[in-house]
Amino acid sequence: MKSLSKNNLHWCEGKTMKNLLILSSFSMLFLIGCAEVQKIDTTNDTGKQVLSLDYRDFDEAASKMIQSLISSGTLAKKDGSRYVVSTGRITNDTMQRIDTDLLTAKVEQDLMKSGQVVMTSAVGGKESNRDETVYNMRETRDSSKGEEFKQETLPQKGQIISPELSLSGKIYQRNLRYDKDKQQVEYYFQLKLSDIKTGLRFWQEEVLIGKRGSNKSVAW
Amino acid sequence: MKKCFLLLFFVVSAVLLNGCGESGDKRVNLDTGVKSDNLANNALTRPVYGAFSLLIGEGIDLKDVKVFTNDAGFMEVQATGYNRAIYTKRFDYKVEWLDKNGVVVDSKASVWLPVSAKAKSTFSFKTVAPSKDVVDFRMNTRKTTE
Repeated sequence: MKSLSKNNLHWCEGKTMKNLLILSSFSMLFLIGCAEVQKIDTTNDTGKQVLSLDYRDFDEAASKMIQSLISSGTLAKKDGSRYVVSTGRITNDTMQRIDTDLLTAKVEQDLMKSGQVVMTSAVGGKESNRDETVYNMRETRDSSKGEEFKQETLPQKGQIISPELSLSGKIYQRNLRYDKDKQQVEYYFQLKLSDIKTGLRFWQEEVLIGKRGSNKSVAW
Repeated sequence: MKKCFLLLFFVVSAVLLNGCGESGDKRVNLDTGVKSDNLANNALTRPVYGAFSLLIGEGIDLKDVKVFTNDAGFMEVQATGYNRAIYTKRFDYKVEWLDKNGVVVDSKASVWLPVSAKAKSTFSFKTVAPSKDVVDFRMNTRKTTE
């Protein structure tokens, strides 16, 4: 048996080291590629769909709601003045942790831009629909701290304007078995506009967003 | 040679005769499989026409765009098209609204919205401006992302 000469050994070690270096370099490049973060082009997103709700679904639902409400003519007052609207309770009846403001904030924004609506921060279904400063300043006015303020700049009693209309609704989810490999998930976005004084409902809309995907995907 | 001529004859016949013989109210679209087959549209010629349609890449034709102002003073746009393809075509559209100075009016409703057009059928979709300041619009389309 030939014994390994020193030269052979060095040659083996050299080749092994070289291979190890190449392998390490490729591994590092691969890992760096895996860790890469990409910013979503939210203006023209061509990314694939996901089974749960993403921002595109909220955009689509909000857009359809806004268009339906504006084209319905419900918000057109005869004298051209604006309705005072509050956002009431929007229930999340899905398996996902959703902040319903993802839908309502967009709707509120466009309603105000339409010139037909002014939103109120004095009342609302959620804390985020209200601005506590409206009441904090009144408490301040009624306390000793109020004396520090210029009295004419403090809010007086009987100045808050009551909302005339209230926006409420629900987002709910249905999961169905499509076939042995796929599931179907249906998301229903429902919004209603009601007259607070009379309790009458003047507008209602439902937007359905349906998705089908692998049973291995999760919709929450 | 004979087979080639026969195939060519079928292709040309299918292309030329497709749509012939259709009568009735144009407002009602009877889909293949619902209406009766005819010389140009039957189990033999359909695959030939279908292949030809795919080959030439038939798609959506825009037929009409109606623009009007609704009672509340907002511009509404209705686009009507015809899907010449042999399969349901899905696409997205996005509208940008312009004021009298040609400046884009920002809106949360100006997002990509899906439209589905059934094969060989007329379809329409409607959109409303977000503000009374809107005097014009422009619309973009793209293939639906799956």
